[in-house]
Formats: sequence, C-alpha cells, structure tokens
Amino acid sequence: MLFTRECKKIFRSLTFIIYCAMVILMFFTQFWPELDERVTSSTIESYELTKISGEPETIMPKALDSLTGCYFSNTYRCYPYGLLKAVHLNSRDNDKIKGYIIEISGLNDDEMEKLKAASSFSHVRIGTNELESYNVNHVPLREDITYGRFREIMGEIDDILGGGSDYRPDDLAYKFSQEPMSHAEIIEQYDDFIEKDHIAAAYGRLLSDYLGIVLAVIPVFAAAALVTADKRAKMDELVYSRRISSFRLIFTRFSALVLTMALPVLLCASITAAKIMHMYKGDAPDIAGAFTVPGIWLLPNIMLVTALGMCISELFSAGMAILVQFAAWFICMMMTSSPLYGHIGRYTFVCRHNSLFYRSEFMEHYSDFLFNRIFYTAAALAAVLLTVIVYELKRGGRFNGLVLFGKDSIFRRKA
Amino acid sequence: MNSMIEIRNVNKFYGRKQALYDINLTIEKGMFGLLGRNGAGKTTLMKTLAALHQKKDGDITVCGIPIERAGEIRAMTGYLPQDFSMYPSMKTYEALEYLGALSGMKSATLRERVTDILHKVNLTEQRSKKVAQLSGGMKRRLGIAQALIHDPQVLIVDEPTAGLDPEERIRFRNLLCELAEDRIVILSTHIVGDIEATCEQIAIMDEGKILWQGTVNQLISNACGHVYTANVERKFMPQLKKNYIVTGMITQAEYATVRIVSDEEPDLPNAVLTEPDLEAAYMYCLHISGCDVKGDEN
Repeated sequence: MLFTRECKKIFRSLTFIIYCAMVILMFFTQFWPELDERVTSSTIESYELTKISGEPETIMPKALDSLTGCYFSNTYRCYPYGLLKAVHLNSRDNDKIKGYIIEISGLNDDEMEKLKAASSFSHVRIGTNELESYNVNHVPLREDITYGRFREIMGEIDDILGGGSDYRPDDLAYKFSQEPMSHAEIIEQYDDFIEKDHIAAAYGRLLSDYLGIVLAVIPVFAAAALVTADKRAKMDELVYSRRISSFRLIFTRFSALVLTMALPVLLCASITAAKIMHMYKGDAPDIAGAFTVPGIWLLPNIMLVTALGMCISELFSAGMAILVQFAAWFICMMMTSSPLYGHIGRYTFVCRHNSLFYRSEFMEHYSDFLFNRIFYTAAALAAVLLTVIVYELKRGGRFNGLVLFGKDSIFRRKA
Repeated sequence: MNSMIEIRNVNKFYGRKQALYDINLTIEKGMFGLLGRNGAGKTTLMKTLAALHQKKDGDITVCGIPIERAGEIRAMTGYLPQDFSMYPSMKTYEALEYLGALSGMKSATLRERVTDILHKVNLTEQRSKKVAQLSGGMKRRLGIAQALIHDPQVLIVDEPTAGLDPEERIRFRNLLCELAEDRIVILSTHIVGDIEATCEQIAIMDEGKILWQGTVNQLISNACGHVYTANVERKFMPQLKKNYIVTGMITQAEYATVRIVSDEEPDLPNAVLTEPDLEAAYMYCLHISGCDVKGDEN
C-alpha cells in the first residue's frame, strides 16, 4: 500500500516526467533509426562491418606512419576524457618523440628530413577542429624491434602526450589493425544475428547501449527529488515521527523509484518488440530478448544511480547528488574505450555495445558482463543500506546532514 | 501500562551549547501546557519527547516506555510540529492516508479513520481539496488530523495557534480540549491565552530550564498581591516601563490605564491592587525567577 502511494508521488513529480521524456527522446532519436531497415543477408553488407586483426605486423607499420606524420606537424590527436584535443609538444618533448621514431625505424636525421620533404601536407577537419597533418607512408620498421618494445615505446609516447592518444597501448589494435570483414565473415555475423540472437536479443543489446547512456545519470533527478520532497514540503518531521522503520521506508521508496523508472524502459522494449515482430515476421524472432537483455543490462544502472542519488541527497543535498552523479557519468563516458562493442570490463559502469552484430565478441566476455551487473546491483543495495543508516541518524536528531556551503558549512570554524 | 510521561534530570546539548538543563516533569492524562518565551527550549523538549531529538542524559518514559525505544514511542505519539506543511499537490485525504500508511495502518481501517478524523477536525468539505488550497487554519487542523490518524495515546502540539485568526484559534483550542479527554495532550506555546483557555496543569520554561510547574490557579495565586492598575499620564510611560513590568495598557487621550506587576506597591499616586490574570501571573513568575521581562527598550 505504501509502495503504491510512493509510486503515485513519483508519477506526479515533474522530475519523473522529465526523466520519461529524456528516455523516450533517446529512444526515438538514437535507437529508432536502427529499426528503419530490416537486416537481411544482403543489407548487412551496408553496415561496413570490420574486424580487428590485432597482428603486430599490421599494427606497427600503420602506427609508425601515423606517429611520424604527427611528429612532422607537431600536432597529435588525443581524446583525454573522450574530448578531442590537438596536442602540440614543446621542442624537448617533440625531440623525445623523434628519438622514439628513430629507435623504431632506424632512420637518421637526414633520412627523417627527406621523408618529411617527400610527404604531403594537408589540413584535416574533425568536428570544429582543423588539424595540420603530414600524410606519411611506409616508414621503415627496424627488423629487430619486438612488438613488446614497440608497445612500451607507445606507452611512453602516450604519457608524453598526456594520455588518450591514438598510441595508447590498449587501443593500438583497434586503431591500427581494423580491416573490413570478408563476405563469409559478414554472413557469419548475419547467421549469429538470426540463429543465436534470434534477432530480438541483438536489438535488445543495442537498445541497452543507447538507453544505458542516459540511465547512468538521469535517474538521479527523480531520486534526489523524492528524497528531498519531505524537506521541501516541510513534511520531514511529520514523516520522521511515524511508526514506520527507516529500513522499510527507504527500501519502499527505493523500490518505487526503480520500478517507476523501469517503466519507460519497458515501454521502449515493448515498442521495439512490436516493431521487430512486424519487421521480421518470417524469421520467427524470439521477442523475449528485447526484454531480458535490457532488463539485465539496465536495471543495475537504474538501481545504482537511484541509490547513490538517495544516499548523497540524504548526506548532503539534492544538488550535490546531481553534481556528483553528473561528474561520475561524465568521467565514465569519457573513459569508455574504443571500440564501442565487444569487451565490457568488470567495472565499466556505462556498458557499451553499439552494434547489432559482433555477438561472439560480446559473448566472449559475457561472464565479465554478468559479474559487472551483479557487482553494481550489490553496490546499489549497499548504497541503500547506507541511506537507511543516514536517514535513521537524521530522524533521531543525531545527524543533520553535511552542509558544504553557506553559514552552516562544515568547513566553517564554529564560534 | 501507566498513562503518564515522566521526565527525570534530562539534559540536552546542541554541540557545546546546553539547550535543556536538568528537566524534571510529570505529565498526566489531560491537557498540559508548556509556556515560555521564544527560544525557551519548548520545541527542543517537545522533539525530545517525540523521539526526534536525543537527550544527553536523564530518563524519559512515555506511558512506561523508555524514550530510547523510539519505534514504540513513535507508534503511541502524535506530533504536530510548529512549522510544517504537506505535499502541496496531494489532496487532503490523500495526505492523511499517506501518513496513516507510514504509521502502519491497513488500507481498510485507514479509509474509515480518515473520514472520521476529517469530520472531527471539521475538514470533511475540504476532503478533496489540494493541501496547497487550504487556509492557514485548515492546514493547522489538518496537522492535528495527521497527528491523530493513528489514535495515539500522546499528542504533542508545538505552537499550534501561531498565525491563526481569533475564530480559528478558539476552534482549535476547543478541539484540543476534546482530544485531551482520553489521552495526554501537551501544548507548547508562548501565547498565554491558549494556556488559559485549555490547560489546568502547566509548566513554565525559560532558557532551557523549568521555572515552575503546577496548576493555573496556583500560578495565579502566587501573583496575588503583586498586580496593580494605575492611571498615568502617557508622557510618563517610558519611565514607567523602565521601572515596572507593564502587562497591559489602555490609552485614553493624555492618560493610560496600566496594569503593573511589582514586588512592592508601586510609587504611583493612584495604584490599586488588582486580581491577577494568567498573563500577569506568568510575568510575575518570570520576574521572580530572575528573567528580564521589563518592557523598556533601553
């Protein structure tokens, strides 16, 4: 009974309406176009699927060409925290890069100069940035350079560049050994899509990928709003003085928040399932995948963001909860490594798999993915328990929350 | 289970500042008035009794239950804070049902109870009005209704008539008296008229201490022989306020009839000893307890 009343309160709140609008907006602007065209064995060719060979023989020459071009123009493309940054090194650091190029290539200064003179120069536009670039090809590679040493050098170069460069050792394979899939490999992808994912699971993954981005942050608004609603309505003492235990109250509110915020996701999954049923009539899609995959994938997101929002709101304020969550979300998003499919780390909060395909890459790390989701579910429950403790302390007058700013700031020395 | 509140040697601190000093009180069934100036510690004591504040030491039992058993105390207590409201978008009955649910009431009994309680506080017609649309007096009555929804043995109301018009205030006092027939009702206020109209047993607080406890009649009789009326020229009023505790003044042209509380007969030509009212008795109590209650602004 209390649960339904809490749900009603959430349904009536403006923050919940905004939440729904943002989920629906994400769904229709990002995911919906993916449902425009039915994937068939012939249309799958248009997806330009690539594979990562990861072979050092492919990676090393391409990376060296790219690095040499950047060295000549002293313009290095980096994505620290995901945002493009053109790095220009001072002469000392750029000379260090030159030293590394010489070590890998075996060229001397004169040969480097000749190579520069023979390379074409161009301006490359990326977004609003225009970067200078030398187009260098076929820089020789010393025969005795090992891939281990090569990676080591690339790691040092990435450090000099401040991180997030194309030369980050873990990204080398993705950046420099991507190649188009053969026809047979593409057909294999299609077979996986039809026979293993039964269509709907593939769409479920992609839906989760898009919605996961917003669900890693926006539930905090509704959570913070609900937690602070009592205080804003000057109702906190009326609630504190009731018989209900803090445990029951907080868990009821948490459950109500999670359920209500799962509803728009369920709606999106239902629309997706309906569309799949319509589009793939002859292929007998198993529409359960459109629900189970987002369920496993997204519920921990909603739970953790909600729990943290509740906890930080109780400890500090709603504003602080939103601020912290946005900062955490921003960092998570910016630290998402390429490619945006396949590997999901054990502690990656914003899980990405931005494709209908690459099922085998996803399944290769499926146990990590499951661990990840269970870990964040447990973290959410821990945060709710902490909220219960904080609430109980506040309710009994033993703690009044931490105020960071203003006259009651904890940083101010008490008179 | 006894039906009284016993408070023994209770001290309470906010950080290093002491808010309650060695409080001792026994409160029995019926209306009990806690009178004191703003900042006297009344609200702190009320919140401590409602298990919303922690005492530092001493003992409190509510109907035999130690205050440390907060869950049980909250189950038997209804609390109306001084400054409160409810979710503005909720309807009156919804707000009550919500708070009733938080008190662990079952749906079926709750609906009936909400209807009864709205009738009792005369809000039946406002049942489906949103809280935001209620007047100040209606909100106060809704406040009482929420405190009573779970039929508590103890009702704690903190400054309930502040901001109400005279008609609402009278209605509210009468309601409290009715409620006190079968439970303990503690009324905390700085308005003497509220106490006078409702309470038999009272305590006076100042600066976190209980200055006096007893019946209203005892308090008034203590002030007998210390309350005077006199006619004075208005131009002497500032001087008079400096020297005496002036509890009332009616002005007519150049003269004013003043009511004075004084240990000795005032040095005024036409001062007449008069029967004390509760207000004067309260002022006399504060005065003999060493509180600065003179009306001068110097």
